[in-house]
Amino acid sequence: MHMADALLAPTVAAAMYVASGTAAGVSIHKLRKEDAPQKLPVMAVSAALVFAGQMINYTIPGTGSSGHMCGGMLLSALLGPQAGFLSMIVILTIQCLFFADGGLMALGANIWNMAFYGCFVGYYLLWRPILRSRLFKGLGVKGAQRSRIILASVAGCVLTLQLGAFSVVLETSLSGITDLPLGAFCALMQPIHLAIGLIEGLITAAVLLFVYESRPELLSGLSPAEDSLPAKRSLKATVAILAVLVLMVGGGLSLLASSNPDGLEWALFGNADAGYSENMGLDEENFGVSSAAAEKAGAVQEVTSFLPDYAFQGSDSAAGTSVSGIVGSAMVAGAAVLICLAGGFFRRRKANSHKH
Amino acid sequence: MIQFQNVSFAYEPDRPVLQNLSFRIAPGESVGLIGANGAGKSTLMKLLLGLRQGEGRILVDGTELNKASLSEIRRKLGYVLQNSDNQMFMPTVYEDMMFAPLNYGLSREEAERRVDAVLERLGLEDLKHRHNHKLSGGEKRMAAIATILAMEPEAVLMDEPSSALDPYNRRIVINTIRSLPQTKLIASHDLDMILDTCDRVLLMSKGQLVADGPTEEILSDRALLEANRMELPFCLAGRTK
Amino acid sequence: MNKMQKALRELAEMDELAAQNSIIHRLCPTAKLLATVLYIAVVLSFGKYQLSGLAVLLLWPVLLFQLSGIPVHICFYKLRIVLPLVLAVGLFNPFFDRAILLRLGPLAVSGGFISMLTLMLKGLLCLMASFLLMATTNFDSLCASLRKLHIPGMLVTLLLLTYRYVGVMTEELAVMTEAYSLRAPGQKGLQVSAWGSFLGQLLLRSMDRAQELYASMLLRGYHEHFHYAPMKPFGPGDVVYLALSALFFLVLRFVPAAQLLGNLLLR
Repeated sequence: MHMADALLAPTVAAAMYVASGTAAGVSIHKLRKEDAPQKLPVMAVSAALVFAGQMINYTIPGTGSSGHMCGGMLLSALLGPQAGFLSMIVILTIQCLFFADGGLMALGANIWNMAFYGCFVGYYLLWRPILRSRLFKGLGVKGAQRSRIILASVAGCVLTLQLGAFSVVLETSLSGITDLPLGAFCALMQPIHLAIGLIEGLITAAVLLFVYESRPELLSGLSPAEDSLPAKRSLKATVAILAVLVLMVGGGLSLLASSNPDGLEWALFGNADAGYSENMGLDEENFGVSSAAAEKAGAVQEVTSFLPDYAFQGSDSAAGTSVSGIVGSAMVAGAAVLICLAGGFFRRRKANSHKH
Repeated sequence: MIQFQNVSFAYEPDRPVLQNLSFRIAPGESVGLIGANGAGKSTLMKLLLGLRQGEGRILVDGTELNKASLSEIRRKLGYVLQNSDNQMFMPTVYEDMMFAPLNYGLSREEAERRVDAVLERLGLEDLKHRHNHKLSGGEKRMAAIATILAMEPEAVLMDEPSSALDPYNRRIVINTIRSLPQTKLIASHDLDMILDTCDRVLLMSKGQLVADGPTEEILSDRALLEANRMELPFCLAGRTK
Repeated sequence: MNKMQKALRELAEMDELAAQNSIIHRLCPTAKLLATVLYIAVVLSFGKYQLSGLAVLLLWPVLLFQLSGIPVHICFYKLRIVLPLVLAVGLFNPFFDRAILLRLGPLAVSGGFISMLTLMLKGLLCLMASFLLMATTNFDSLCASLRKLHIPGMLVTLLLLTYRYVGVMTEELAVMTEAYSLRAPGQKGLQVSAWGSFLGQLLLRSMDRAQELYASMLLRGYHEHFHYAPMKPFGPGDVVYLALSALFFLVLRFVPAAQLLGNLLLR
C-alpha cells in the first residue's frame, strides 16, 4: 500500500505531512511524559524486527499463494499505540529512503495510511476494548483471552486496512492523478484489502498468541491497571463508534462525489451517461445531499485541487502539450545525453591521469 | 579494586542465582571467572555493574555500590558484551567509540584524540570509519573492546571475549587483553584463554564460589573441574595432577 | 538468495555509494535534502498534461548523476517497485480520458495517454531525486542534519538505532528463513503452524537484545541525550548549490522551456 510520490499533488502531500506530523508530535509528547528511556531501544529493535518480518512469505493454506504482514497492529499491541506509531514511522522512512518503497513526499501520506490507523484507531477502538471485554467468558481465562486476541487482531487489521485503502483512494483522487472514477477505484481497492487485512490479522494474531503463551507481560493493553486512562469503553460503545465511523466515511464519500462531480471527475453518482450509478444500484435524487454541507465540501475541493488539473494556469498552453513541446523535449533529451557523454569523458580522463 | 561481601541474588525468592559470594580483586589483577552454563557468571557481572540489585555489599575502589554512586562506579568499569552487535548501537565504529566520552562531558576534540589513541594502540586505525554492521566477527570484537577502552575505565569486565572467533582473531584478542594494564575480570568457557590471560581464577557452580586460586593450580585440577562440569584446558590435558 | 539477503545487499550497496567521494558527496546533507524536497515538490506540482514542461526537469538528476559518478542502473533497478504502482493507477487514464489533445500527422494522442506518460515520468524523476540524495549522503550525517532541521530528537535517535538494527535483524531472519527452507523443501513460504512462532521466537529474543542494548547505553553514560555525527558546516558551496538548484526548478516551473525551444527550432 506504499504510495509513490507521483501519485500525490504537493498540497495533498503537505496536508498528509501535517496530519502525520501532528500525530507524531502528540505521541512524542506522551512518551516524554511517560519518561521510560528503556523503551527507546525496545522500539528500535522491534521496528527493525518488523522491517525484516515484512519480508517473510506466509503461505496461505489452500491457495498456494502467500501473504505478508505490515505490522502496525503488531507493534502497537506490543509497545502501545504511541511507541508503535513512532516505530512504524521509522520503518516507513527507511523503506522510503533506501528501497524507494514509497517516496519522500508521499511519506506523510504513507505514515497516515499505514501507521496511524493501525496504531491508534486499531488500538483504541478494537484492540484494547476487546481485550478488556468479557467476550468468550465461557472458554476459561486463557481460552477467552486467546479468542479475544484473535478477534481483536483480525478485526483491527481488517478495519485499519480498509481505512488505509480508502485513504489511498481519496488521496490519489484528490490529487487529480487518476481518471479512474472514485467509486470504481474503491471497488478495486477495498475488496483486495479486505483479503489482505484478513491475512494480516491472522498473522498478527498468530504472533501475538505466541507472545501471549510465552511472555504475556509483553502485550500492551492487556491489564486495565497499566494506564491511568479511565476509558474502559464497553464493547457496545465500540460498536456504536464503529457504526458512526462507517456512516461518516460513507457519507463523506457520497458528499464528495455528488457535490463536485467535475473535481473528482466521475464519482459514485457522477457520470449518469454511463449508467454507473444505476449499475451500482444507487439513486442520486433519493440520497438527499444537503446543500450546505455540499457547498462546504466543494470549497474544500477547490482549495485542494487548485494545483493538479488547473495548475498554474497559463504556464503551459491550454492542453499542455503540443508539437513544439515535443520537439523541445527531444532537445532536452539530447542535452541530457551530452551531459552524460561529457561526464563519462571527464571521468575517463581523471582515471587515466591517476594511472600515469 | 573490586570487592564482594556476602552478595546474594535471586529472580524468584526460592531459586537463588547467586549465594553468599565474597571475594576481593586487587588493582591491576587479572581474574578469570569460570563455571558451567547457568553458574551465575553473567549475573555476577550484572550485579557489579548495577544492572541488577541483590543483597550484600559490592565495593568498587572502596565506594559502596548504590543508587548515589552508580554513575561514578559505572564510569570506572568497562563492560565488553558477548554480543558485539548489542554493544555497538551507533552506525560507525568511530561514533560508537565517541559515545561514552561525549556522554562523560569531553569535548569533541578531546574525545576524538582519545579515540584515535585507542585505535592506534590496538592497530585498528583502518576500522575507524567503517560501518558496524559490515565488520567481520573478529573486527567486531576488537572494535567492541576499543569502544570500551575509549572510556578509559579502571577495570575491564569481559563476557566471553574469545567466543566464535577463529584462532587468528582469538590470538589477537588474547594479546590485546594481555596488553591491557587495567584490572580485568573475564568470564569465559575458553579455559586456554583464561590460562593465557589471567593470574587468578574464580570457579563458580550453582551460584556459589567453589574455588579461588592461582590459574595454573585450579585449571590443572582435573577432579575439581570435572566435579563442576568443566574439563581440563587442552594444553594441560596431557599432564594430570 | 532469499528476499532478506537481497534487501541486505541493497542496503550495503547504498552504503557503499554514499561512502564515495565527489563534489555532490561533499555537499552538506541539509542542502541536498532541501534541494531534493523542493525538486520533488516542483515535479509533483506539474499538471497531468504538462509532459513537456516536466521533461526539462530531467536535466537536474542527469547532471547530478554525472557530477557524483553514481551509476544510473542501480536507480533503474529500484524502479521495479515504483513503476508497477504508478502504472496500476495511470493505466486507466487512457480508457477514461479519450479527448484528443495532440495530432502528430496521422497519429492522434489522447489526453489519457499523455497523463499516463506524465505520471510515469513523475515517478521516474521523484525516484531519481531521492535515490541521488541517499546515494550521495551517508545516513548518519543525514540524521544529524534532520536534527538540525528540528525533527524531534527522539525520532532521529530512533531512526539511527533502527537503521543500525535493521541490518542485524534482517540477517537473523535471513538465516532463519534459510534454516526453515532446508527443513521444508519445496515450500515457498511459511506454513500455518509456524506463522506465530517463527517471528515470535525472534521477537522474544529481540526483547532481551533490546535490554542488553539499553544496558550497554547506560554503562557508557547515556542519559536522554544522543550525540550525532559531526555536521559538515553549511558552507558557501552549499548556498550556491541550493540557490542554483532552486532557481533552475522555479524558472522551469513557470517558463515552458521545452515549448519555447521547440518554437525556436520549428520557426
